[in-house]
Amino acid sequence: MVSASATKVEGVKTHLYYFGAEHGNDNLKNFAYSEQGDPNLLDTILLSQWDNFAWKGHLDYDVTACQLKVIEGGKKFVCQLNNKWNSFFLKEYDKFFESFGCLKPNSMKCYEGLLLCIAQGEKDRPEVAPSSPPPKDGLLVIANAHPVEYGHIFLVPSAMINQVSCYRDKRMFQLATKIAFEVNNAAFRVFFDSGTSVVSDHMPFQACYFANPLPVESTSTFMVYDGKGRSDIIVSETVDYPLKALVFTSNNLQALVTVVSEISSLHDNTTAYSLLITNNGTKIFLFPQVKNLATGCSLSAWECGGYFVYHTKFDFDSASETAISSRMSSISLHDSAFEDLKHLCCTIADDLVIHCLNHSRIFFDDNFFLSTMKQKDRAMRKPHSPLMNLLGAKRSAMSSRNNSA
Amino acid sequence: MASSGAAEADPPGEREREQEQERRRLAASLTARYSDWVLEALDELPGSFLLTDPALAGHPIVYASRGLTALTGYARRDVLGRNARLFQGAATARAAVAGVREAVRAHRTHQVPILNYRRDGSPHWVLLHLAPVFHARDGSVLHFLAVQVPIADAKRRGGAAAAGAVLLAACREEARVEEDFPCAAHAGKAFVDMDKRGLEAEEPRVPSDSEKEMAINTADSIVSALNRYSKLTGLVVSRKRCDSVGIPALSSSLNLSLGRIKQSFVLTYSCLPDMPIIYASEAFISLTGYSREDILGRNCRVLNGPDTSLEVLEEVRTGFYSFFSLSKEPDRSFVASTFIRKDGSSFHDLLHVSPIRDASGKVRLHLSQVAFHIWVHLDMGAKHDFNGLTPEVWQLGAVAAVRVAVRGLSASGSLLRPSQ
Repeated sequence: MVSASATKVEGVKTHLYYFGAEHGNDNLKNFAYSEQGDPNLLDTILLSQWDNFAWKGHLDYDVTACQLKVIEGGKKFVCQLNNKWNSFFLKEYDKFFESFGCLKPNSMKCYEGLLLCIAQGEKDRPEVAPSSPPPKDGLLVIANAHPVEYGHIFLVPSAMINQVSCYRDKRMFQLATKIAFEVNNAAFRVFFDSGTSVVSDHMPFQACYFANPLPVESTSTFMVYDGKGRSDIIVSETVDYPLKALVFTSNNLQALVTVVSEISSLHDNTTAYSLLITNNGTKIFLFPQVKNLATGCSLSAWECGGYFVYHTKFDFDSASETAISSRMSSISLHDSAFEDLKHLCCTIADDLVIHCLNHSRIFFDDNFFLSTMKQKDRAMRKPHSPLMNLLGAKRSAMSSRNNSA
Repeated sequence: MASSGAAEADPPGEREREQEQERRRLAASLTARYSDWVLEALDELPGSFLLTDPALAGHPIVYASRGLTALTGYARRDVLGRNARLFQGAATARAAVAGVREAVRAHRTHQVPILNYRRDGSPHWVLLHLAPVFHARDGSVLHFLAVQVPIADAKRRGGAAAAGAVLLAACREEARVEEDFPCAAHAGKAFVDMDKRGLEAEEPRVPSDSEKEMAINTADSIVSALNRYSKLTGLVVSRKRCDSVGIPALSSSLNLSLGRIKQSFVLTYSCLPDMPIIYASEAFISLTGYSREDILGRNCRVLNGPDTSLEVLEEVRTGFYSFFSLSKEPDRSFVASTFIRKDGSSFHDLLHVSPIRDASGKVRLHLSQVAFHIWVHLDMGAKHDFNGLTPEVWQLGAVAAVRVAVRGLSASGSLLRPSQ
């Protein structure tokens, strides 16, 4: 697995998983190795590497021994008793970056937490190279020694090792969603925690395994935008869930990624967005939260999903649906702000123009957009919604750049 | 002790030597049947319980748990060698005592609320859970185990009882590391206050479901511990006589999750003696030719054939117990061996065995409570397309997938369907 090599040049080596080559199909076929009754390749290697990491004692605690229960009530919130986990490892943040130092090229040091690397491959089928150096343009899968659940990993882009870059760019988003698709395991979910405004650009995507549906996945939803035949995306909102959330569903990975990354890249001083990618990369939950200026984001994506961790037995035993619901509602967007966001999301989804059949690229038709923006502005009763202004500003900047290029 | 009447006549040295011999004799009652580590393992279990040996004269107590003192005020050495009736007293219901005596005579499991007396003479209600420990092969009774779970007063069950229980639980934690029990006096007081109210009525207290469950869980942990250490010396113990052991059924959500795992494996249930198979994957069924009806409830040795190496069995055995000793093995063992299918044909197999923990909402009574073991097989003779993975990674993937499945929650909070 990971071992320091004898010569200085080679550095760290690990398993490298190659995605099958993209054929430009919008709907990526899962070359299911599962057609032959074989286990999924990426799923198997992720699980096995993590299990080894745990077996060797590198975890701070055995998360499978932490008590779990479902809280009484209709929402079926899940809670875990664990006195060692905390949702934002901001204090550890510097250490986290430091630990990557050994992954720079030509490093001799061994890094046990690096489970495997993922990169785009050339062949039709995915494959694994058992002992390769980390790719220059790919992803490093790093185990989280303070897991919230079994298999908790960080997805760190290779580029980040050498210089700090924005995690939330579309490419990273696409990789994260694609991984969810490739693993093809309903228990595997990728998520993104929006930290404080300072750190949020540097928070990595994370993922872990949990066999049951999260409470937010079982909650009923109401469709607000049906993009079938046009943009291939359906936008819904959660009904009766204490934290107002939006759900984006599509079998078209590109479409999904484009829309959601657009929305979550909006920098707004008052709202933070956490994300949960589920259903093998076909369903993304967007959790907008009112940003607390002092502490930044209050709830992690996992908590937004309805899974809470308690540090003491007393808190664990006295956890109630009412307390959790009120905690979630307190950081949920106000109705009007949520309506704005909904409109915005529908607009963005609607503006996707898909060139069907042969082409895979999706783009925003800028001219088309600007004209429809004006129409929609008129249609909207609130003339100057801050979100729409932001989007408008961004779009006009983009279009002016395109025009000048 | 038993010979207290003649104590004054003996010189002190003689008495001490007698007591020492007596203590060794009692300890031998356990260590003769189980490995020497069994005492340490029992010491780790929380709760108040005793082990008694019916084969010795007077049916004496041969082991008392650490939790006994917090509950009864008796030091462990005070009770060793004495009969368990020392806890009974004036107001103890005669019917309850008779019931216990009858259960002992008939070698039956028995659960009854009973009024016991502490060392200071104060009475308190406990749920007494009595169970025989059988030699699994010849059915003889090796020991009796008696678990004492305090029954909280129903009237004050809400606040004070919870506080009392928390206090006692906290004391149990303390008790595991310290010899003197600083909380004991305080916990005793909480019980005495509640008891005075209960004694006014002569009615036996009704134990709550959680108290009953705690008694059963403690008893199970004791038998698990005995089983673990008996295996090392070749003995197997059971809570029931051999013929009536039924295997539990898995909850439907667990069955569903396990069904998605493509590798060939079985799960054995660690809490029952002889570790029966309680789940077999589709791949296992097609690999070995056994149907589900054939294989469930059997032990994995059904696959053993004349060419199956004894090293296999040794490796597997060490694999089991290294986990229990809480020392992390740096290498996981993958054993290559030959096994036999149902039709008699043999196949070269790569076998890996791993323990799977369970952390459901039930009270965790033992730190390394292992629910199942997974046995992953890989037919080395068949062609496999591993796409760059090693067979070991292939198998570990199955182990990890089972861990994820077991980690899931069923609606009832339990991995097993409730027993009939």
